[in-house]
Amino acid sequence: MNYLLNSNQSLPIVLAASGTNAALVSFLIYTAGVFVLAALSNRLLKSKSFLSEYFLGSRGLGVWAFALTFAATSSSGGSFTGFPSKIYTHGWILALWIGSYMVVPICTMGLIGKRLNQVARRSGSITVPDVIRDRFHSQILGLMAVSLIVFFMSINLVAQFKAGSLILQTLLDGVTVFESAAGSLSNAVSEIPYINSAESPEYLLCLLVFGVAVILYTTYGGFHAVVWTDVMQGIVMVVGVIIMLPLAISQSGGLENTTRLMAKMTPPRISDAEKGGITLTLDKPSQEDVRIDSGTWITDDPIADHKVPLLFRVTRSVEIPAGETTVNEVKVLQLTTLDDIKRILGRKESEKFLDGVSVSNIDLKAYAYGEDGNQQGTYLVGPGPSPSSSNGFLPLSLAISFFFMWAISGTGQPANMVRLMAFRDTKTLQRSICTVAIYYTLIYFPLVLIFCCARVLLPGMEGDPDSIMPKMAVLLTDNIQMGWLAGLLVAAPFAAVMSTVDSFLLLISSAWVRDVYQRNLNPEASERSIKLLSYLVTFVVGTAAMIVAVNPPKFLQDIIVYVGSGLAASFLAPIVYGLYWRRVNAAGAMGAMLGGFSVHLAMYITGYFVNGSFFKPYQLFDFDPIIIGLFVSFISGYVVTKVTAPPPDALVQKYFYTTKTKA
Amino acid sequence: MSTAPSNDTESMEVDPVFLNAKREAWIILGLWIVALLWAVPYCYLNGYQTGLDPETIETTMGIPSWVFWGIAFPWIVADLFTIWFCLFYMKEDDLGEAHEGEDLAEEIAELHANQADATTGGNES
Repeated sequence: MNYLLNSNQSLPIVLAASGTNAALVSFLIYTAGVFVLAALSNRLLKSKSFLSEYFLGSRGLGVWAFALTFAATSSSGGSFTGFPSKIYTHGWILALWIGSYMVVPICTMGLIGKRLNQVARRSGSITVPDVIRDRFHSQILGLMAVSLIVFFMSINLVAQFKAGSLILQTLLDGVTVFESAAGSLSNAVSEIPYINSAESPEYLLCLLVFGVAVILYTTYGGFHAVVWTDVMQGIVMVVGVIIMLPLAISQSGGLENTTRLMAKMTPPRISDAEKGGITLTLDKPSQEDVRIDSGTWITDDPIADHKVPLLFRVTRSVEIPAGETTVNEVKVLQLTTLDDIKRILGRKESEKFLDGVSVSNIDLKAYAYGEDGNQQGTYLVGPGPSPSSSNGFLPLSLAISFFFMWAISGTGQPANMVRLMAFRDTKTLQRSICTVAIYYTLIYFPLVLIFCCARVLLPGMEGDPDSIMPKMAVLLTDNIQMGWLAGLLVAAPFAAVMSTVDSFLLLISSAWVRDVYQRNLNPEASERSIKLLSYLVTFVVGTAAMIVAVNPPKFLQDIIVYVGSGLAASFLAPIVYGLYWRRVNAAGAMGAMLGGFSVHLAMYITGYFVNGSFFKPYQLFDFDPIIIGLFVSFISGYVVTKVTAPPPDALVQKYFYTTKTKA
Repeated sequence: MSTAPSNDTESMEVDPVFLNAKREAWIILGLWIVALLWAVPYCYLNGYQTGLDPETIETTMGIPSWVFWGIAFPWIVADLFTIWFCLFYMKEDDLGEAHEGEDLAEEIAELHANQADATTGGNES
């Protein structure tokens, strides 16, 4: 069957009918599963050391638990929304962008895993600030570490809450029960200040559902609940990808065909957000308001000297009031690739078209890179098309930066480090690295293939690229008459973000309970009060983040990037020095931590003055701030150590020496 | 507890787990550099082009050849290396018993010692 030209149902109808109900059902099954796991985990909390169990799973993780919690925590919601949308928008160059994932598992787990686990056991550390404080025997250093973690992770937690709600919202979009529930929620909270200013009732509902679920199971079950749900989520993700891959390839007519079609693709023309667009004129005035939804196709007779037929897709919904015929500055994108246009026009009956309308005053702009004659085939080669940058999507310096970003900066993430402190023995570590390597190979490269195929199967999604994953899931499964399967596939991005949020939540609460309260305020607190406090703080931190996320900051993706690279710039060097260098002292570790943090921050602040936005950081020598930050962090740690006194012998002996074994 | 008085160095040796972990870390870092030096220059030299003729693109197994030889193939090689390295090269080490609560106990002891000092100090002055 030729799926390219012949889709038996219109996409919006398909979405409403099979996909989203499946999404709702799978979401419910999913949540139920998560709570069962949390309840089971809670039983383990009766073991000897509550804190070590609640925040670290008693250092007993086996291969599957350790490998999958590590993999699932690192792949946040971005892996299944942001990444697919980038592949769709920029083409094959994303293979290079994600390329360093070929060594990410062995780097992030192998570089420090064994030694970090050993040092944490030797000192009895439960958290990352714990390790730093014990290894250098410095209270101030521990406090610095905990402040940085609380600062960065709290921002990140809010951002991830927002990401989770947005994903859930995309999945449930169009489900009747969901829409009406959102409506009643909106009425119920209309009197409550702050809450009623949420972005939309749908967003608020998703945030509540998502937030409450995550907070409850994390609070109740602790680390083991997080790990076991991660395992379940990890399995959902990989199964989703493995099912999608053959469907995507066969339905787009094979990879060879996809690549050849992509070689001929040219980027769409797009509307400027502020001004311009197109003018639509109805053939005759309508009796009632005409609503033109985002995603609607519009075609018109070709202009005389135009090579291809005119085909537009609305990117922002508009209305034409009753009795009028014209609306100006409609935001659209215009397809420019002949094959894509023919494909859409060829299945006109099944797509949502607005008929009886003519187009005039076309005021659209070209991509900054990708449209010029000598840039043809841009979806196939580097640097890839870009709507905004005339250097293209991935110039060489950025390609190098991303190699650092994933593998090296991934090693410096405290959420990953905590997991490295929790595996049972080296055998577990060795097998888990292999498992994660295979796992990532099955996820990341196939995603590139799947969403290159998406360019062929679903042209014109540039206006709403974040929903390409659910749209593909529905299209692929519906073409084989197995719409219910879409539920499993769309659960993957949701699983990804959930498994990240729960880990971050526990990381922050462990910082408060263990590092702030127990180790600084009240070292002699009883087991019972520590236990109560752990539940309480996890619950309060989660709830606070959820409330802030009602009106979340903008620039979601930028915040996540800033936090991720900032954490690595602050923590990688002190930890690596602490684990592997006998001479390093507390002053050196402090120098590394502050040096990395402040230089990284300085790049962003300079960006604010030079480029006009905090989130367009200054790129010294064309490199991302993470590279500059890491470089300065390692250098300043080294220099400060060298000019200050060596650490006490007892400390060095404790962590670097062992009693001689008898020959 | 593994902390020994500093005059007792004869009975101590450098922790073999530390030495193994350090050697393994250097090799992994080397692997990362090799991956970087393979993927990025190869893709840059073969995959960054202008004036591409859509009819004459080279593909390997349906994907652009530069992606295949610059990313997909080294990815498989990296996986094979990872599996060999982890299963056959990495040393199986004893990570030791977890000293749960020891850091805290130590600090509480120090705290009490300081308080005792402060009290006696106060009495003396």
